[in-house]
Formats: sequence, structure tokens, C-alpha cells
Amino acid sequence: MAVDGLLAVGGILSLALGISGILLIRTQKQEVIWNKHYAAQLLCWSFVCKGVANGVRSVGYEVESWRFVLYTGHFADQIFACSVMMISLLYPVPLLRNRKQFKIGLAAILIYALISLGSAVFLRVNTPMAGLGDAYIFCGFIWTMVYLKFRFMKGHEDDKEVLGVSDAAVLLFIMVVGHITFRWVGFFAASDYFYFLDMYGGDFEADYFWSMGLGSAAIFGLVILLGEIYQTSQGRGRATSYLVFVYMMIGLVGHIVLSGTGLSSGGGGTAAGENYSAFQGVWTEITSAVHFTMMRPILGLFILFRFGLVRISEDNQQIGKTMSIVLIVVATSALLEIVQSLMPLTEMLSAGILGVAIAFGIGWEERSFQSLISNPLRFPLRTKGGYFPEIKFEKGEYNRLDRFMAVIIAFSIVLALILELSSVNPFQVGG
Amino acid sequence: MDSKESLVYLIKEDDGGRSFALLSTLLVLGLIFHAYVFFVVKETDIRTKYDVAIYEITFEEMNSTGSDSILVGDGETDTFSITRSDIDPVQEQMIAKITFTISYEETSGEILDPCDEVRVQIPPNGMVADWQNTENILADSNDDCQDMTLVVFIYPEYFGETITMEGGDLNEWHALWSDESYGTGLLNLEVSVDTNEAPTSALPTVNDENEEIQIQWDVLLFEASVERMN
Repeated sequence: MAVDGLLAVGGILSLALGISGILLIRTQKQEVIWNKHYAAQLLCWSFVCKGVANGVRSVGYEVESWRFVLYTGHFADQIFACSVMMISLLYPVPLLRNRKQFKIGLAAILIYALISLGSAVFLRVNTPMAGLGDAYIFCGFIWTMVYLKFRFMKGHEDDKEVLGVSDAAVLLFIMVVGHITFRWVGFFAASDYFYFLDMYGGDFEADYFWSMGLGSAAIFGLVILLGEIYQTSQGRGRATSYLVFVYMMIGLVGHIVLSGTGLSSGGGGTAAGENYSAFQGVWTEITSAVHFTMMRPILGLFILFRFGLVRISEDNQQIGKTMSIVLIVVATSALLEIVQSLMPLTEMLSAGILGVAIAFGIGWEERSFQSLISNPLRFPLRTKGGYFPEIKFEKGEYNRLDRFMAVIIAFSIVLALILELSSVNPFQVGG
Repeated sequence: MDSKESLVYLIKEDDGGRSFALLSTLLVLGLIFHAYVFFVVKETDIRTKYDVAIYEITFEEMNSTGSDSILVGDGETDTFSITRSDIDPVQEQMIAKITFTISYEETSGEILDPCDEVRVQIPPNGMVADWQNTENILADSNDDCQDMTLVVFIYPEYFGETITMEGGDLNEWHALWSDESYGTGLLNLEVSVDTNEAPTSALPTVNDENEEIQIQWDVLLFEASVERMN
């Protein structure tokens, strides 16, 4: 059984962030505004889902229980997609603006989840109904709209609180679809390396819907890029502007590198295809795979702390520090895994490098953790309060979401096990 | 419902809904472009992306010949060598096989002088070639002045006929039949001569001490072209 090391480490990283984040939220004493609280919970649970999906897929499909791997990964991705869709409805700007809308929104997402989950079980995993690409369109549209509104708000061009909202939207967008922006040029150039991306293949319509989701990410990515180029040219560049430039620039260079390639072995182009050259394989690994496995949790951690989705006080500071140390250690291991895949190192040497890297990482953590948590960015509640309606939720209601997410993830794993034991054919109606 | 609680308020606030309108328009235009590429421009490619590719590999053959002679003394062995540069093929041309024709005649000029005994062999090293090929003829000898033919197959598995392959990609198959390493190195032909004395050899004027050996080589070259059939 060949384990994909990077995917496995990425899975651990996501799982570590997700679980420790949930613990942190449950132990925080300071009050956090309702939409941030729910967004933090959903963000952590989405990382638990990604941890399950990446972890189980790291063993590959060449195993006896390949159905379990496939279904567990698929269900976890579906729950992940629903979680990020719900986040986009709540954060940075809540689109669900009162209790009634919140319930309707939640119900709509649940119905969507049930339809896509049911389609995968009772129809096929590669039917358009079980698709996942629509989440990219949904979230991408909302976050890009929030970005445009707040980044180009007249009279507030230098308002840090207003710009913080657009930063949060851009960071969330990059966190979810960053690996697709590495192929954005292929969308406009009609390249095989973009249009051949699919989840499982074998169904033209399902491939279309998946590709459409990826295409929307390229469109939104270009809109944000043009927006940031304009703002930077006006002397209003921000740290997020440079992050956008780096991601889109990688997409530009990636077009030169990946031209001529066809099939990728990852749904979103996160793994090299069989006909990739060694260099194209390395390129895919150090760009898409790194984003998918490492950058997502790191951006998630940054969003949680920087925008005050989780408030650190004396009560939960230790958990927060432990969380960031665990993430640094695992992220360092992932980085080393990448280095090892590029140049073989002896075990002794790699252990030495790992030790030094972790020592530096923890040293960095000591300095940066305090600055990250001590001064979280506030949103313009006073000047633009209309965007941020207040809804009162009890602690029990927040806890109910945790219980629900835990149950649905456990249920999806049990369901995958039942389907494995039933020896169903995931690609055939009625198995 | 409070007006601030509606989604319309959110869309129209501050910019009169311009962000929403702009983004919606760009998204619709972008997705129309995507649908056009997916269903019109690349439909066939996308539908057949998992089809196993079938490739036809054809070979164009060419010959290159040359000759030389060496003088080999009685009881001696001389080596004649050729390299790829002696054959001088263009870069795309691979060497399929090399055929040596070794000929000689009795050159002593003596009456009734019989043919000398000539042995030829090609040691299976030096040049990168298909040395395990059972059709190689690597040694021969005679003493009747008949021509001898030695054959070395250079490019493994080359039969000259058009072949059809499944899977892989075009470059991969082309690379398989364009491996320039075959035919590199030095191909040595060892020639040994034992002169047979004429009945008049006891006479002091009679002397048969060497033989001139003619060597002709015929190199079969090929150039592969690969074409996808589906």
C-alpha cells in the first residue's frame, strides 16, 4: 500500500487545525459576534472534513477497500462543500440577516447536502446531482461581491475596518479555490490541462458542472486580480494584494509549464497526471498540492486568529499556542516531505533538517502568535453597522451545530463502510 | 421585515448594486464562454480523453554502404573498426543492422597457390547493439576464397514492419524508436589470416606472407514516424 505522504500530512494538518480549533472555540470566554462564531465553527468542521478526505485518500484507490476510500472521501468533500457554502452566507458579511433567514439558509444547505449525498448513494458518485463544483460558484460569487463592495467603497478607501472585510473575503476565496487559480490561464486559453479536469470522469454532464465550478473560480480570480492591480496602481496595495498577485502569477507561469498536458490525477488539478514530465510533476506538487494540503490550513489558522473569529484569552491561550505549535510541526513535516520528493535525503539528514526547521518554526511561533492574536482586525460595526445585523444566539445553539457536524461526519463514515461491505458499484445506478 | 434585513438592501447599499450587476454579468459571460469551449470547441477531445490512444508506427528505411581493405599478415589478426560517425546518418536515422561482406582472393601470384585460410569474427562488445539477437552472425571462416557475411542487429526489436501500439503518448513511442544510444561505440571486426603455401613454396623466389582482405559494409538505417490513429 503506497501512501501519498503529502496528502497524509495535509490530512493530519487539516484534522489538527479542525479539532483544536473546535476545542478553542468551546473554551473561549470572550463573546464573539454570532456570524463570526458560526463561521469559526464551520471553518473548523470544514477542516475536519478535509482531514478525513485527504487522510483516507492518501492510501490511494489501489487497495481492497477502495469503495470505502472513495465514498468516505466523497462524502467528506460534500460536507466540506456545504460547510463553506454556509460560511459564505455568514462571513465576512452575513447574507442571512435575521433568525428566519438563518433557518431558511441552513435548511436550504441541508436539502442541498441531502440531495447530493443521496444522489451519490442511490445513483452514482459521478452524476451531476452529486457534484461538488457548484460550491465554488456559490462561495466565489458571494466573496468576490463582498470584496468588490468593500474594496471599492467610496470614501472608505483607507478605512482599515472596511478593508479588513475585503481582506477576509479574498483570503477565504484563496483558501477554498487557490489551487484552481494556478490554472486560471488555461480556462481562457481553452487548454486541455484545465478542461480535462474532472472528479471521476465517465459522465460528460457531471464533468461539465465540475469544470464550470472551476471556471467560475478562474473568472472570480481574474476579477480580484484586476481589482488589486487597479488599487495597487493607486498606491493602495495591501498584503492580500500581493498574495493575489503571487497566486495569479503562478497561474501565468503554470500555463507555460503545463501546456501540452492533459489529464491530471486530481479533481482540481492537485496531482500530476500520468503523462506529466518530471518537471511538470514537481511543478504541480510545489504549487497545487502545497496549497491543497498546507496553505489551506495555514490560511484557515490565519483567518481564525487575525479576524477574531476565535478570541484568545488567558483561559484558552495554552490551547491556542499548542494548536499553532502542532500546525507548525506538521506543516514543517509536510514541507520536508515535499523536499524529499524532489531530492532524496538520507533519514539522518532529513531528521536533522526537521529538528532545525521545527526549532525555527517554534521560535517564530513565540514571536508571531502574540501579535496575531493580540490585535484582531475589527469590522466596521459602527460606521457600516447595517451590513452586520445582530442576532442573539444561545451557547446551546452553537453547541448544537458541533453535535450535528460530528454526527453527520460519523454517519458519512459509517455509510461509506456499509457501501463498502455491500460491494456496490459507485459508478453504476443501483450499484 | 426591516428594510435592512433584506438581501436587496445588502446588494444596493453603498454602490447601488453595481458590484452585484458587474459580477453577475462577468460570471454569465464567463460561463457562456466556458460552455462554448466545453460543448463546441473541445467536446470531442473531452469525450475521448480517457480513450486508449492507438498509434501506428511506420519505418522508412535507407541504406548506407562503404568499403575498405586491410592487409593481414600470415598468422596475424588485425582489427577493422567502424563507428556511427563513419556511417554518418542524420540525427533522426537509427541503425537497424550492419552487414559486413568480407572477400579476398589469392594474391601471391604463384601457380597452384591455394586460397589462404581467413577467419573473421565480431566480438560482442564495443558498440551498443542487440547482441542477444539469435540472428546475429558474428563469426565465419573459409579457405576457398568465397565471400563471408557477418550480421549484427543494432536496434532491438526492429523488424521494419509497421506496428500498432496502444496507450502511452506520441512522444513516448517516438522516443522508443529514436534511441540514439544504439549504434554508439566501436564495432570491431577481427580478421585472421593463415596462408596456405603453394607446392612451389620451397623455391626461394616464392613467398606468400599476407593477404589483402576486402571489407564491405552495408548499414540498414531507419526513421520512425508515429501517428495517432484515433
